[in-house]
Amino acid sequence: MSQNLITEEKVYEELKKAIVETLRVDESSITPESSLINDLGAESLDFLDINYRLEQAFGMKMARHFVLEHIEDMFGEGAAIDEDGRLTEKAIELLKIRFGENVPDLKPGMDMDEVPALLTVKSMTQGVMDILQSLPEKCTKCGGPEWKTEDGVKIKCASCGENAAFTNGDDLIKAWLTRVQEEKKIF
Amino acid sequence: MMQIYQGVDIVDVVKFSKVFNAHRDFVSDIFSGKERAYCMSKRDPSIHFAGRFAAKEAGLKALGIGFSGRGIDHTLKEIEVIAGPSGRPELSFSGWAKKISRKKRIDRLTVSISHSGNYAVATVILTGDK
Repeated sequence: MSQNLITEEKVYEELKKAIVETLRVDESSITPESSLINDLGAESLDFLDINYRLEQAFGMKMARHFVLEHIEDMFGEGAAIDEDGRLTEKAIELLKIRFGENVPDLKPGMDMDEVPALLTVKSMTQGVMDILQSLPEKCTKCGGPEWKTEDGVKIKCASCGENAAFTNGDDLIKAWLTRVQEEKKIF
Repeated sequence: MMQIYQGVDIVDVVKFSKVFNAHRDFVSDIFSGKERAYCMSKRDPSIHFAGRFAAKEAGLKALGIGFSGRGIDHTLKEIEVIAGPSGRPELSFSGWAKKISRKKRIDRLTVSISHSGNYAVATVILTGDK
């Protein structure tokens, strides 16, 4: 079910807060188009810190496996990465659908380790929004159909106060890949 | 023809410890049971966790994987560093890391870790015929 309790603007603000606390950068230096690596100087440990902060703030689970790994698991070895560790045309086609205009520099044949530098504040915001959109129809504890948020970041059942149980990031990626494959027949 | 892949990483132990201690799931998301047992048996576990984290990062670089960014990268856990019989660290891959290693026909893995002051550093060298 889509949710309208937490807006994309709110997610963007929370992400900016996490970036400022993790990277100690000035908030004014962050824009939706900022690359976390190239523009803001994030390292992998910083990405872990930022992702954990988002999980804690919104009460959700980000993906543990990269979309390229899911592509190979679902569509066979070689579907996403060739023998030199470079992205296949089909993987790029999928990533372009997934990230849209948020990540414009995706090209077939690029190395896997070039992908993280393409991540922008906007594409990370979208990743959080995707999970928040998986808000269940009813509370998994009491079956209540209404949701509320008191602090603007954590969605709770309006009846019993249980935190919303969002679909985790990996299951969302798998469901998305299944849907895209049914529609586009890429593999 | 033999191919050589190298990765190096340096970790600020103070910064690492802050992240490590701030997030409850960090240790189980990133380190295997054997790694946790080894580090926790040491007088100063944080420096040993930081050294292993540097080795995992160096392993990612040598494999050319990069990290996922949007999420908690499970590949870090799949790059395991355990102490061999002599105490020297040994590297092994599973899951996605193993799959990429197989694609690149890597058959030898070496890792070296060092600590000094507030820093831990690690290098990984992988070789294979291709």
